[in-house]
Amino acid sequence: MKGYKIIDADVHNEQEDAALLPYLKEPWRSRVAASGIGYAGSGYYSPIGVMKKDSIPPGGGRAGSNPDFMIKQLIDGYDLDYAILTGVVYNISTTHDPDYAAAICSAYNDFLIAEWFGKHKAFKGAMVVATQDPLLAAREIDRVGGHPDIVEVMISSAARAPLGQRYYHPIYEAAERNGLPIAVHPGAEGGGGSTAPTSAGYPSRYIEWHTCLSQMFMAHLVSLVCEGVFVKFPNLKFVMVEGGVAWLPGLMWRLDKNYKALRSTVPWLTKLPSQYIRDHCYLTTQPIEEPDNPQHLIDLFNMIDAENMLLYSSDYPHWDFDSPDHILRKLSPEARRKIFRDNALQLYKLT
Amino acid sequence: MAVHYVLKEEDIPEGGFSLVQVDGREIGIYHVNGEYHAIHNYCPHQGAPMCAGLVSGTTLPSEVYSYEYGKAGQIIRCPWHGWEFDLKTGKALFNEKIRVRKYTVEIEDGKIGILITKSITGSGAIRDSIL
Repeated sequence: MKGYKIIDADVHNEQEDAALLPYLKEPWRSRVAASGIGYAGSGYYSPIGVMKKDSIPPGGGRAGSNPDFMIKQLIDGYDLDYAILTGVVYNISTTHDPDYAAAICSAYNDFLIAEWFGKHKAFKGAMVVATQDPLLAAREIDRVGGHPDIVEVMISSAARAPLGQRYYHPIYEAAERNGLPIAVHPGAEGGGGSTAPTSAGYPSRYIEWHTCLSQMFMAHLVSLVCEGVFVKFPNLKFVMVEGGVAWLPGLMWRLDKNYKALRSTVPWLTKLPSQYIRDHCYLTTQPIEEPDNPQHLIDLFNMIDAENMLLYSSDYPHWDFDSPDHILRKLSPEARRKIFRDNALQLYKLT
Repeated sequence: MAVHYVLKEEDIPEGGFSLVQVDGREIGIYHVNGEYHAIHNYCPHQGAPMCAGLVSGTTLPSEVYSYEYGKAGQIIRCPWHGWEFDLKTGKALFNEKIRVRKYTVEIEDGKIGILITKSITGSGAIRDSIL
Protein backbone atom coordinates (compact mmCIF):
# COMPACT_ATOMS: atom_id res chain seq x y z
CA MET A 1 0.00 0.00 0.00
CA LYS A 2 1.62 3.17 -1.13
CA GLY A 3 -0.40 5.46 1.12
CA TYR A 4 -0.78 8.40 -1.24
CA LYS A 5 -2.76 9.36 -4.31
CA ILE A 6 -1.26 9.99 -7.72
CA ILE A 7 -1.14 13.16 -9.78
CA ASP A 8 -1.20 12.67 -13.56
CA ALA A 9 0.43 15.58 -15.39
CA ASP A 10 -0.78 14.84 -18.95
CA VAL A 11 -4.40 13.87 -19.56
CA HIS A 12 -5.93 14.64 -22.94
CA ASN A 13 -9.52 15.76 -22.81
CA GLU A 14 -10.93 16.09 -26.30
CA GLN A 15 -14.02 17.54 -27.90
CA GLU A 16 -15.73 17.72 -31.24
CA ASP A 17 -14.77 20.93 -33.07
CA ALA A 18 -18.40 22.08 -32.83
CA ALA A 19 -18.19 22.03 -29.02
CA LEU A 20 -16.15 25.24 -29.20
CA LEU A 21 -18.75 27.12 -31.28
CA PRO A 22 -20.57 28.68 -28.29
CA TYR A 23 -17.26 30.11 -27.13
CA LEU A 24 -16.16 31.58 -30.47
CA LYS A 25 -16.85 35.09 -31.73
CA GLU A 26 -17.42 35.91 -35.40
CA PRO A 27 -15.90 35.62 -37.91
CA TRP A 28 -14.31 32.53 -36.36
CA ARG A 29 -17.57 30.89 -35.33
CA SER A 30 -18.88 30.73 -38.90
CA ARG A 31 -15.56 29.44 -40.12
CA VAL A 32 -15.41 26.57 -37.63
CA ALA A 33 -19.12 25.79 -38.14
CA ALA A 34 -18.55 25.45 -41.88
CA SER A 35 -15.09 23.88 -42.03
CA GLY A 36 -14.06 22.58 -38.61
CA ILE A 37 -10.99 23.85 -36.78
CA GLY A 38 -8.56 22.65 -39.46
CA TYR A 39 -5.36 21.76 -37.64
CA ALA A 40 -2.10 21.52 -39.58
CA GLY A 41 -0.98 18.10 -38.36
CA SER A 42 2.31 16.34 -38.85
CA GLY A 43 0.99 14.15 -41.66
CA TYR A 44 2.61 11.00 -40.30
CA TYR A 45 0.60 7.75 -40.32
CA SER A 46 0.44 5.19 -37.52
CA PRO A 47 -1.35 1.85 -37.88
CA ILE A 48 -2.14 2.05 -34.17
CA GLY A 49 -3.88 5.40 -34.38
CA VAL A 50 -3.64 7.99 -31.64
CA MET A 51 -6.23 6.61 -29.20
CA LYS A 52 -5.99 3.56 -27.01
CA LYS A 53 -8.79 1.31 -28.14
CA ASP A 54 -10.49 0.80 -24.79
CA SER A 55 -10.98 4.52 -24.19
CA ILE A 56 -13.95 5.19 -26.48
CA PRO A 57 -16.88 6.18 -24.23
CA PRO A 58 -19.64 3.53 -24.14
CA GLY A 59 -22.14 6.04 -25.52
CA GLY A 60 -19.83 6.90 -28.42
CA GLY A 61 -17.90 10.06 -29.18
CA ARG A 62 -14.20 10.77 -29.13
CA ALA A 63 -11.88 9.18 -26.60
CA GLY A 64 -11.38 11.67 -23.79
CA SER A 65 -14.55 13.61 -24.61
CA ASN A 66 -16.82 12.28 -21.87
CA PRO A 67 -15.93 13.51 -18.35
CA ASP A 68 -17.98 10.79 -16.65
CA PHE A 69 -16.20 8.00 -18.51
CA MET A 70 -12.82 9.61 -17.85
CA ILE A 71 -13.64 9.76 -14.15
CA LYS A 72 -14.60 6.08 -14.14
CA GLN A 73 -11.72 4.76 -16.25
CA LEU A 74 -8.86 7.06 -15.21
CA ILE A 75 -9.59 9.03 -12.04
CA ASP A 76 -11.28 6.22 -10.13
CA GLY A 77 -9.56 3.41 -12.07
CA TYR A 78 -6.09 4.53 -10.99
CA ASP A 79 -7.05 6.39 -7.81
CA LEU A 80 -5.82 9.79 -9.02
CA ASP A 81 -5.85 12.81 -6.77
CA TYR A 82 -5.49 15.24 -9.68
CA ALA A 83 -5.47 14.99 -13.46
CA ILE A 84 -3.94 17.90 -15.33
CA LEU A 85 -6.15 18.30 -18.42
CA THR A 86 -3.98 19.25 -21.36
CA GLY A 87 -6.39 19.00 -24.30
CA VAL A 88 -5.03 18.93 -27.84
CA VAL A 89 -5.54 22.55 -28.88
CA TYR A 90 -1.86 23.46 -28.42
CA ASN A 91 -1.50 21.89 -31.89
CA ILE A 92 -3.11 25.03 -33.37
CA SER A 93 0.30 26.71 -33.26
CA THR A 94 1.33 25.16 -36.58
CA THR A 95 -1.50 26.89 -38.48
CA HIS A 96 -0.92 30.15 -40.31
CA ASP A 97 -3.30 32.87 -39.13
CA PRO A 98 -2.24 34.26 -35.72
CA ASP A 99 -5.61 35.85 -34.99
CA TYR A 100 -7.49 32.64 -35.76
CA ALA A 101 -5.11 30.54 -33.69
CA ALA A 102 -5.50 32.91 -30.75
CA ALA A 103 -9.31 32.82 -31.07
CA ILE A 104 -9.36 29.00 -31.02
CA CYS A 105 -7.21 29.00 -27.88
CA SER A 106 -9.47 31.51 -26.12
CA ALA A 107 -12.57 29.50 -27.02
CA TYR A 108 -10.98 26.30 -25.76
CA ASN A 109 -9.90 27.93 -22.49
CA ASP A 110 -13.45 29.13 -21.85
CA PHE A 111 -14.79 25.69 -22.82
CA LEU A 112 -12.37 23.98 -20.42
CA ILE A 113 -13.37 26.23 -17.56
CA ALA A 114 -17.11 25.96 -18.24
CA GLU A 115 -17.46 22.30 -19.16
CA TRP A 116 -14.71 20.34 -17.38
CA PHE A 117 -13.52 21.90 -14.13
CA GLY A 118 -16.80 21.58 -12.30
CA LYS A 119 -17.23 17.91 -13.19
CA HIS A 120 -14.76 16.51 -10.64
CA LYS A 121 -12.45 17.94 -8.01
CA ALA A 122 -9.55 16.03 -9.58
CA PHE A 123 -9.74 18.10 -12.74
CA LYS A 124 -7.13 20.84 -13.02
CA GLY A 125 -6.05 22.17 -16.37
CA ALA A 126 -3.53 23.72 -18.70
CA MET A 127 -4.74 26.83 -20.45
CA VAL A 128 -3.43 26.95 -23.98
CA VAL A 129 -1.93 29.77 -26.01
CA ALA A 130 -0.75 29.90 -29.61
CA THR A 131 2.82 30.96 -30.31
CA GLN A 132 2.20 32.75 -33.64
CA ASP A 133 1.67 36.06 -31.80
CA PRO A 134 3.26 36.12 -28.33
CA LEU A 135 1.59 39.44 -27.47
CA LEU A 136 -1.87 37.97 -28.04
CA ALA A 137 -0.76 34.95 -26.02
CA ALA A 138 0.32 37.17 -23.12
CA ARG A 139 -3.04 38.96 -23.19
CA GLU A 140 -4.83 35.59 -23.03
CA ILE A 141 -2.72 34.50 -20.04
CA ASP A 142 -3.72 37.68 -18.23
CA ARG A 143 -7.37 37.06 -19.20
CA VAL A 144 -7.81 33.52 -17.84
CA GLY A 145 -4.58 32.64 -16.04
CA GLY A 146 -5.98 33.67 -12.68
CA HIS A 147 -8.67 31.00 -12.67
CA PRO A 148 -8.07 28.76 -9.64
CA ASP A 149 -8.23 25.53 -11.64
CA ILE A 150 -5.74 26.70 -14.30
CA VAL A 151 -2.35 25.40 -13.18
CA GLU A 152 -0.11 25.98 -16.21
CA VAL A 153 0.14 27.52 -19.67
CA MET A 154 0.62 25.02 -22.48
CA ILE A 155 2.36 25.74 -25.77
CA SER A 156 3.31 23.51 -28.68
CA SER A 157 6.83 22.20 -29.17
CA ALA A 158 6.13 22.38 -32.92
CA ALA A 159 7.22 25.96 -33.50
CA ARG A 160 8.79 28.31 -36.01
CA ALA A 161 11.98 28.83 -33.99
CA PRO A 162 13.67 27.56 -30.80
CA LEU A 163 11.51 28.42 -27.81
CA GLY A 164 14.15 30.33 -25.88
CA GLN A 165 14.39 33.16 -28.41
CA ARG A 166 13.33 36.70 -27.40
CA TYR A 167 10.35 36.64 -29.73
CA TYR A 168 8.57 34.36 -27.23
CA HIS A 169 9.47 36.26 -24.09
CA PRO A 170 6.14 38.10 -23.69
CA ILE A 171 4.53 34.66 -23.12
CA TYR A 172 7.01 33.83 -20.41
CA GLU A 173 6.74 37.23 -18.79
CA ALA A 174 2.95 36.83 -18.57
CA ALA A 175 3.21 33.31 -17.22
CA GLU A 176 5.62 34.39 -14.51
CA ARG A 177 3.40 37.37 -13.68
CA ASN A 178 0.48 34.97 -13.19
CA GLY A 179 2.49 32.44 -11.23
CA LEU A 180 2.02 29.71 -13.85
CA PRO A 181 4.56 27.24 -15.28
CA ILE A 182 4.90 26.90 -19.05
CA ALA A 183 4.28 23.37 -20.35
CA VAL A 184 5.57 22.33 -23.77
CA HIS A 185 3.80 19.51 -25.64
CA PRO A 186 4.57 17.78 -28.99
CA GLY A 187 2.11 16.61 -31.61
CA ALA A 188 2.15 18.58 -34.85
CA GLU A 189 5.90 18.57 -35.51
CA GLY A 190 6.54 19.13 -39.21
CA GLY A 191 3.03 20.38 -39.91
CA GLY A 192 2.01 23.76 -41.29
CA GLY A 193 4.41 26.56 -40.47
CA SER A 194 6.56 24.63 -38.00
CA THR A 195 10.14 23.56 -38.62
CA ALA A 196 11.03 20.11 -39.94
CA PRO A 197 10.29 17.51 -37.25
CA THR A 198 13.89 16.30 -36.98
CA SER A 199 17.23 18.06 -37.19
CA ALA A 200 17.93 16.14 -40.37
CA GLY A 201 14.65 16.95 -42.09
CA TYR A 202 11.50 14.97 -42.75
CA PRO A 203 11.75 11.23 -42.06
CA SER A 204 9.57 8.77 -43.97
CA ARG A 205 7.54 7.18 -41.20
CA TYR A 206 5.75 7.77 -37.90
CA ILE A 207 8.18 5.46 -36.04
CA GLU A 208 11.02 7.80 -37.01
CA TRP A 209 9.02 10.97 -36.37
CA HIS A 210 7.90 9.81 -32.92
CA THR A 211 11.36 8.65 -31.86
CA CYS A 212 12.91 11.95 -32.94
CA LEU A 213 10.45 14.13 -30.99
CA SER A 214 13.09 14.09 -28.27
CA GLN A 215 15.33 16.11 -30.60
CA MET A 216 12.79 18.90 -30.57
CA PHE A 217 12.85 19.00 -26.79
CA MET A 218 16.64 18.93 -26.67
CA ALA A 219 16.81 21.93 -29.01
CA HIS A 220 14.17 23.89 -27.11
CA LEU A 221 15.75 23.17 -23.74
CA VAL A 222 19.23 24.27 -24.84
CA SER A 223 17.67 27.41 -26.31
CA LEU A 224 15.73 28.22 -23.13
CA VAL A 225 18.87 28.00 -21.03
CA CYS A 226 21.26 29.78 -23.38
CA GLU A 227 18.88 32.61 -24.28
CA GLY A 228 18.72 33.44 -20.58
CA VAL A 229 15.00 32.80 -20.11
CA PHE A 230 15.60 31.61 -16.56
CA VAL A 231 17.78 34.62 -15.80
CA LYS A 232 15.22 37.07 -17.14
CA PHE A 233 12.32 35.22 -15.48
CA PRO A 234 13.80 33.77 -12.29
CA ASN A 235 10.51 32.47 -10.95
CA LEU A 236 9.44 30.74 -14.16
CA LYS A 237 9.22 26.95 -14.37
CA PHE A 238 8.99 24.81 -17.51
CA VAL A 239 7.41 21.39 -17.90
CA MET A 240 8.68 19.38 -20.86
CA VAL A 241 5.78 17.06 -21.60
CA GLU A 242 6.08 13.78 -23.50
CA GLY A 243 9.53 14.48 -24.91
CA GLY A 244 11.37 11.61 -23.25
CA VAL A 245 13.74 11.57 -20.28
CA ALA A 246 16.75 9.32 -20.94
CA TRP A 247 18.49 11.86 -23.17
CA LEU A 248 18.78 14.42 -20.40
CA PRO A 249 22.03 13.32 -18.67
CA GLY A 250 24.01 13.41 -21.91
CA LEU A 251 22.60 16.77 -22.87
CA MET A 252 23.50 18.25 -19.48
CA TRP A 253 27.04 16.96 -19.70
CA ARG A 254 27.60 18.21 -23.23
CA LEU A 255 26.09 21.62 -22.50
CA ASP A 256 28.09 22.06 -19.29
CA LYS A 257 31.29 21.12 -21.08
CA ASN A 258 30.63 23.65 -23.81
CA TYR A 259 29.78 26.32 -21.24
CA LYS A 260 33.23 26.02 -19.73
CA ALA A 261 34.73 27.03 -23.07
CA LEU A 262 32.02 29.25 -24.50
CA ARG A 263 30.66 31.03 -21.43
CA SER A 264 31.65 34.38 -22.88
CA THR A 265 28.93 34.03 -25.56
CA VAL A 266 26.24 33.68 -22.87
CA PRO A 267 27.65 35.91 -20.11
CA TRP A 268 24.26 36.19 -18.40
CA LEU A 269 24.59 32.58 -17.29
CA THR A 270 26.38 32.55 -13.95
CA LYS A 271 25.76 28.89 -13.11
CA LEU A 272 26.42 25.72 -15.07
CA PRO A 273 23.62 25.26 -17.64
CA SER A 274 22.56 21.98 -16.02
CA GLN A 275 21.89 23.89 -12.81
CA TYR A 276 19.34 26.10 -14.57
CA ILE A 277 17.68 22.96 -15.90
CA ARG A 278 17.54 21.42 -12.42
CA ASP A 279 16.22 24.63 -10.89
CA HIS A 280 13.60 25.47 -13.49
CA CYS A 281 12.58 22.40 -15.48
CA TYR A 282 10.43 19.34 -15.02
CA LEU A 283 9.99 16.48 -17.45
CA THR A 284 6.93 14.23 -17.60
CA THR A 285 7.58 10.51 -17.62
CA GLN A 286 5.43 9.21 -20.46
CA PRO A 287 6.37 7.60 -22.82
CA ILE A 288 8.94 6.23 -20.40
CA GLU A 289 11.98 4.61 -21.98
CA GLU A 290 11.97 0.83 -21.45
CA PRO A 291 15.46 -0.71 -21.58
CA ASP A 292 15.62 -4.53 -21.42
CA ASN A 293 17.23 -4.16 -18.01
CA PRO A 294 14.95 -1.78 -16.05
CA GLN A 295 17.79 -0.95 -13.68
CA HIS A 296 19.62 0.86 -16.48
CA LEU A 297 16.97 3.57 -16.56
CA ILE A 298 17.11 3.93 -12.78
CA ASP A 299 20.89 4.27 -13.05
CA LEU A 300 20.41 7.12 -15.52
CA PHE A 301 17.94 8.79 -13.17
CA ASN A 302 20.40 8.56 -10.32
CA MET A 303 23.13 10.26 -12.37
CA ILE A 304 21.15 13.50 -12.45
CA ASP A 305 18.86 13.23 -9.42
CA ALA A 306 15.98 12.89 -11.86
CA GLU A 307 13.57 12.06 -9.05
CA ASN A 308 13.41 15.79 -8.29
CA MET A 309 12.65 16.76 -11.90
CA LEU A 310 10.10 14.19 -13.05
CA LEU A 311 6.31 14.28 -13.01
CA TYR A 312 4.31 11.13 -13.62
CA SER A 313 2.09 11.34 -16.68
CA SER A 314 -0.13 8.77 -18.37
CA ASP A 315 -1.02 10.52 -21.66
CA TYR A 316 -4.54 9.09 -21.29
CA PRO A 317 -6.33 8.31 -23.59
CA HIS A 318 -3.55 8.15 -26.17
CA TRP A 319 -2.04 4.95 -27.52
CA ASP A 320 1.22 5.18 -25.59
CA PHE A 321 -0.54 5.47 -22.20
CA ASP A 322 1.67 4.49 -19.25
CA SER A 323 -0.14 2.75 -16.40
CA PRO A 324 1.14 3.98 -13.01
CA ASP A 325 1.10 0.42 -11.72
CA HIS A 326 3.46 -0.85 -14.40
CA ILE A 327 6.26 1.68 -14.82
CA LEU A 328 9.28 2.68 -12.71
CA ARG A 329 8.73 -0.19 -10.29
CA LYS A 330 12.41 -0.43 -9.47
CA LEU A 331 12.54 3.09 -8.05
CA SER A 332 12.82 3.53 -4.31
CA PRO A 333 9.50 4.24 -2.57
CA GLU A 334 10.73 7.75 -1.75
CA ALA A 335 11.63 8.51 -5.36
CA ARG A 336 8.33 7.08 -6.57
CA ARG A 337 6.41 9.29 -4.21
CA LYS A 338 8.19 12.39 -5.51
CA ILE A 339 7.55 11.49 -9.13
CA PHE A 340 3.98 10.24 -8.73
CA ARG A 341 2.83 12.98 -6.36
CA ASP A 342 5.05 15.37 -4.43
CA ASN A 343 6.83 17.14 -7.31
CA ALA A 344 3.52 17.94 -9.02
CA LEU A 345 1.88 18.95 -5.76
CA GLN A 346 4.61 21.50 -5.19
CA LEU A 347 4.90 22.74 -8.78
CA TYR A 348 1.16 23.21 -9.26
CA LYS A 349 0.59 24.49 -5.72
CA LEU A 350 -2.02 21.82 -5.03
CA THR A 351 -3.09 20.61 -1.63
CA MET B 1 -6.98 -29.38 -14.23
CA ALA B 2 -10.45 -28.99 -15.66
CA VAL B 3 -12.17 -28.19 -18.94
CA HIS B 4 -14.77 -25.44 -18.62
CA TYR B 5 -17.36 -25.51 -21.38
CA VAL B 6 -18.37 -21.92 -21.92
CA LEU B 7 -19.89 -21.51 -25.38
CA LYS B 8 -21.22 -23.40 -28.38
CA GLU B 9 -19.33 -23.33 -31.64
CA GLU B 10 -22.09 -21.36 -33.37
CA ASP B 11 -21.68 -18.59 -30.78
CA ILE B 12 -18.45 -17.41 -32.47
CA PRO B 13 -18.60 -17.08 -36.26
CA GLU B 14 -15.43 -17.31 -38.34
CA GLY B 15 -13.42 -14.12 -37.74
CA GLY B 16 -15.29 -13.33 -34.54
CA PHE B 17 -14.45 -13.55 -30.88
CA SER B 18 -16.10 -13.71 -27.49
CA LEU B 19 -14.98 -12.64 -24.03
CA VAL B 20 -15.81 -15.12 -21.27
CA GLN B 21 -15.23 -15.45 -17.53
CA VAL B 22 -13.60 -18.71 -16.51
CA ASP B 23 -12.44 -19.57 -13.03
CA GLY B 24 -11.99 -15.90 -12.06
CA ARG B 25 -10.19 -14.76 -15.18
CA GLU B 26 -11.25 -13.06 -18.40
CA ILE B 27 -10.45 -15.04 -21.50
CA GLY B 28 -10.99 -14.06 -25.13
CA ILE B 29 -11.85 -16.87 -27.55
CA TYR B 30 -11.06 -16.14 -31.22
CA HIS B 31 -12.30 -18.11 -34.24
CA VAL B 32 -9.51 -17.87 -36.82
CA ASN B 33 -9.41 -19.89 -40.04
CA GLY B 34 -11.53 -22.69 -38.60
CA GLU B 35 -9.60 -22.89 -35.32
CA TYR B 36 -10.36 -21.51 -31.87
CA HIS B 37 -7.70 -19.72 -29.85
CA ALA B 38 -8.12 -18.59 -26.24
CA ILE B 39 -6.00 -15.86 -24.66
CA HIS B 40 -5.91 -14.10 -21.32
CA ASN B 41 -7.46 -10.62 -21.51
CA TYR B 42 -4.24 -9.12 -20.15
CA CYS B 43 -1.26 -7.76 -22.03
CA PRO B 44 2.08 -8.87 -20.55
CA HIS B 45 3.51 -5.36 -21.06
CA GLN B 46 1.38 -3.03 -18.91
CA GLY B 47 -1.74 -5.08 -18.23
CA ALA B 48 -4.01 -3.59 -20.91
CA PRO B 49 -7.28 -5.40 -21.68
CA MET B 50 -5.85 -7.24 -24.68
CA CYS B 51 -9.18 -8.28 -26.13
CA ALA B 52 -10.13 -4.64 -26.72
CA GLY B 53 -7.44 -4.73 -29.39
CA LEU B 54 -8.15 -5.14 -33.09
CA VAL B 55 -7.50 -8.36 -35.00
CA SER B 56 -5.95 -8.14 -38.45
CA GLY B 57 -3.15 -9.42 -40.62
CA THR B 58 0.22 -7.78 -40.75
CA THR B 59 3.35 -7.27 -42.78
CA LEU B 60 5.69 -10.26 -42.68
CA PRO B 61 9.49 -9.96 -42.61
CA SER B 62 10.55 -8.97 -46.11
CA GLU B 63 13.22 -7.37 -48.27
CA VAL B 64 13.85 -3.64 -47.84
CA TYR B 65 11.04 -1.58 -49.44
CA SER B 66 8.91 -4.63 -50.20
CA TYR B 67 5.76 -5.42 -48.25
CA GLU B 68 4.30 -8.89 -47.83
CA TYR B 69 0.95 -8.97 -46.06
CA GLY B 70 0.00 -12.17 -44.28
CA LYS B 71 -1.41 -13.90 -41.19
CA ALA B 72 -4.78 -12.34 -42.02
CA GLY B 73 -7.14 -12.48 -39.06
CA GLN B 74 -4.43 -14.02 -36.90
CA ILE B 75 -2.74 -11.02 -35.29
CA ILE B 76 -4.10 -9.23 -32.25
CA ARG B 77 -2.72 -5.79 -31.52
CA CYS B 78 -2.71 -4.54 -27.91
CA PRO B 79 -5.25 -1.72 -27.54
CA TRP B 80 -2.76 0.53 -25.74
CA HIS B 81 0.76 0.33 -27.11
CA GLY B 82 0.06 -1.58 -30.28
CA TRP B 83 2.26 -4.63 -29.63
CA GLU B 84 1.35 -7.40 -32.10
CA PHE B 85 0.76 -10.98 -30.91
CA ASP B 86 0.10 -14.11 -32.98
CA LEU B 87 -3.18 -15.67 -31.80
CA LYS B 88 -1.93 -19.13 -32.83
CA THR B 89 1.15 -19.05 -30.61
CA GLY B 90 0.56 -16.19 -28.20
CA LYS B 91 4.01 -14.85 -29.09
CA ALA B 92 4.82 -11.20 -29.70
CA LEU B 93 6.02 -10.57 -33.24
CA PHE B 94 9.01 -8.52 -32.09
CA ASN B 95 10.25 -11.08 -29.55
CA GLU B 96 8.87 -14.57 -29.15
CA LYS B 97 9.88 -14.69 -25.49
CA ILE B 98 7.14 -12.14 -24.83
CA ARG B 99 3.77 -13.88 -24.86
CA VAL B 100 0.16 -13.29 -24.06
CA ARG B 101 -1.05 -16.23 -21.99
CA LYS B 102 -2.80 -18.86 -24.10
CA TYR B 103 -5.28 -21.48 -22.96
CA THR B 104 -5.91 -24.82 -24.62
CA VAL B 105 -9.30 -25.03 -26.34
CA GLU B 106 -11.13 -28.35 -26.46
CA ILE B 107 -14.15 -28.88 -28.71
CA GLU B 108 -16.63 -31.56 -27.77
CA ASP B 109 -20.11 -32.11 -29.19
CA GLY B 110 -20.11 -28.60 -30.63
CA LYS B 111 -19.19 -27.05 -27.32
CA ILE B 112 -16.11 -24.86 -26.78
CA GLY B 113 -14.13 -25.79 -23.67
CA ILE B 114 -11.23 -23.99 -21.99
CA LEU B 115 -8.61 -26.09 -20.24
CA ILE B 116 -7.60 -24.51 -16.96
CA THR B 117 -4.46 -25.86 -15.33
CA LYS B 118 -3.74 -25.25 -11.71
CA SER B 119 -1.33 -22.36 -11.94
CA ILE B 120 -2.46 -18.96 -13.14
CA THR B 121 1.14 -17.86 -13.70
CA GLY B 122 2.60 -21.15 -14.82
CA SER B 123 4.31 -20.02 -18.00
CA GLY B 124 7.71 -18.74 -16.97
CA ALA B 125 8.26 -16.87 -20.20
CA ILE B 126 5.42 -14.45 -19.52
CA ARG B 127 6.70 -11.16 -18.24
CA ASP B 128 4.36 -9.19 -16.03
CA SER B 129 5.81 -5.89 -17.05
CA ILE B 130 8.85 -4.29 -18.52
CA LEU B 131 9.60 -1.85 -15.72
